Amino acid sequence: MSEPQLVVTDLHVAYGPIKALRGVTLHANEGQTVAVLGANGSGKTTLLRAISNMLARSQGSVRINGADTAGVPAHRLVREGLLHVPEGRGTIGRLSVRENLRLAYDLRPTRQSFEAALELVFARFPRMSERLGQLAGSLSGGEQQMLTLARAIVNRPRLLLVDEPSLGLSPVMVDEAFAVLREFQTSGMTILIVEQNVRKTLSFAHEGYILRQGQIVASGSGAELLRDPAILSHYLGAS
Amino acid sequence: MIAEQIVNGVVLGSMYALVALGFTLVFGVLDKLNFALSELFMLGGFVVIASVGLGAPLWLAGILVLVVCGLLGLVVEFVSFRKFTSADAQVTAALSSLAVGLIMIDLVQKTWGGEPVSVPVPIEWRRANVAFFGMQIQVMKIVILAVTLVLMGVLHWLISRTAMGRNIRAVAESPTFATLLGIDVKRVNQQTFFIASALAGAGGLMFSLRNGIASSDIGFTFGLKALAIMAIGGMGDLRGAVLGGILVGVIESLAIQFGFGKLGEIIVWALMILVLLARPGGLFGAAHTTEQRA
Ligand SMILES: Nc1ncnc2c1ncn2[C@@H]1O[C@H](COP(=O)(O)OP(=O)(O)OP(=O)(O)O)[C@@H](O)[C@H]1O
Ligand SMILES: [Mg+2]
Repeated sequence: MSEPQLVVTDLHVAYGPIKALRGVTLHANEGQTVAVLGANGSGKTTLLRAISNMLARSQGSVRINGADTAGVPAHRLVREGLLHVPEGRGTIGRLSVRENLRLAYDLRPTRQSFEAALELVFARFPRMSERLGQLAGSLSGGEQQMLTLARAIVNRPRLLLVDEPSLGLSPVMVDEAFAVLREFQTSGMTILIVEQNVRKTLSFAHEGYILRQGQIVASGSGAELLRDPAILSHYLGAS
Repeated sequence: MIAEQIVNGVVLGSMYALVALGFTLVFGVLDKLNFALSELFMLGGFVVIASVGLGAPLWLAGILVLVVCGLLGLVVEFVSFRKFTSADAQVTAALSSLAVGLIMIDLVQKTWGGEPVSVPVPIEWRRANVAFFGMQIQVMKIVILAVTLVLMGVLHWLISRTAMGRNIRAVAESPTFATLLGIDVKRVNQQTFFIASALAGAGGLMFSLRNGIASSDIGFTFGLKALAIMAIGGMGDLRGAVLGGILVGVIESLAIQFGFGKLGEIIVWALMILVLLARPGGLFGAAHTTEQRA
C-alpha cells in the first residue's frame, strides 16, 4: 500500500462561530515538499495546527502514515515523527540553547548520541557552539530561527510542518533558512511549508496549494503555479 | 537573645518556604493558585500521627507524609485543575481547590476531633540541646533545618538538572510550545502537583515536630502567609520563595523578641504590601512572560 504520507480530506476547523477551514483536501507524498500559500487570515496556520492536533477538527480527516490521527494527543504525534515549527519559532526562551536542543533530541532519540547530534548542528551552524549555554530568549531573531532549524536537525522528523520560516528575517538569513530546508528536502524529509514568500517557496516546493478563506482554490506543481501569473496575482496579491 | 531568635526565625521561615515553594511551583506551571496546599500542610502532621499510630517508625512516617500528600495532590489536580484549562478559569480552579481543602479539614475533624492532637515524638528529641556558638539549640530544630535543606537541594536538582525538570520549566513557559516538542503537558502537571503537595506536607511535618502537636485549623493562616511570601519573593520564582520564607520567618521571630507579639503578623502583611508597591514582580521575580500561541 502506498498511501501518501500525509492525507488531509475535507478538513473543517472552526474557532467558535468563525469557520477558519472549510473543507481542505490535500496530500503530501513521502519525501515531497508541499507549499501552502495564501493571504493573511486565509487559514494557513490553522491548517498546520489542525494537522498537528493542536486544534480539534469539526469535520474531515487527517491521516499520517496511513493512520487517522483523530484523538491522538498532539505530543504523541510529535513522538511518532511529526515536528511542527510554529509561527514565531517556538523556542523555549528560559531554557538554554543546549536544553532546547536536548528537548528535541529526547522526544525522538535516534541511535546516535546527543553529542553526535550536536556535532551535526555545529557543522551546519558553527555559531551555535558558542551559544550553547545561553538562554534561547537572549538570541537574536535570526539565531532563534537557526535554533529552530537546528532542532529539526537533531530531531530528524519524518514530516516537518513549518509556518513562515522567513518571517522577520533579513534577506541573507532567508536564503540561509531556505538552504537548510533544501538540505532537509534532499535527505528525504517530507515538508509541508506555509509561506508568504511565494516565489522562493514555489521554486523549491514540488507541489503547491493556494488557500483562500479556508478553501483550496488552486493547486499544481510549483513550476506550474509560478508560470500562472493570474493565479498568483489574483489569490495572493503577489507582484 | 537575638541570635537565638534569628535561628528560630530561620526554622520557622524554612517551613514557610516549603509551602511557598509548593504554591510557586504550581503557579509557575499553570498560572493558577492551588489553595488545597494550605490544608495539605495541615494534613502533614496528621499523617505522622496516623503512621506512627499504625506502628511506623518516625523516619518512615516522614516518608509517608511525602507520599500521601503527593498522592492527594494528584487528586487535587484531577478534581480542581484538569478540566479548567483556559486562562480565564483561574478563579474556578482556585475556588475548587479551596473547597477540596475545606473537605480535608472536615475529614480531619471527623477523625481526630477539633482539638489539637499531640504528635508522638520521643521526648528526648525535644529536650536535647547542642551548643552552637554559645547558643543552646534544640536538636529538633537542627533536624528540621537539615531535612528542609535536603528537600530544597533535591528540588533544585530535580528542576535544574533532570529531564523532568526541563519539561516542567518548558511547560511553565509555554504549554503550547512544550506540546509541540513532544512533552505530555498533563503528565508534567501531575508531576508538579505531586512535588508541590509533598513539599507542603513536609512543611506540615516539620511544623508538627517543632510544636509537638497537629491541629486542624492551622492551614488557612499559614497558607495565606506562604502565599504572601510567594508574592514577596516573586510569583513562580523558586529562589524567591526560599529567601522570602526565611526573611518573613526571621522578621516574625524578631518581632516576638522585641515584644511586638501578634503584631509580627501585621508586619508580614505590611511587608507584602510595601514590596508589591515597590516591585510588583516581587523581590526576585522577573516580569511575567505571556503565553504565545502556535
Ligand atoms: N484563536 C483564534 N480565535 C478566533 N479566530 C481565530 C483564531 N486564530 C485564527 N483565527 C481566525 O481564523 C482565520 C485564519 O487564521 P490563520 O491564523 O490560520 O491565518 P493565516 O493564514 O495563518 O494568516 P497569517 O498569514 O496572517 O499568519 C482568520 O480569520 C483568523 O482571524
Ligand atoms: Mg499564520
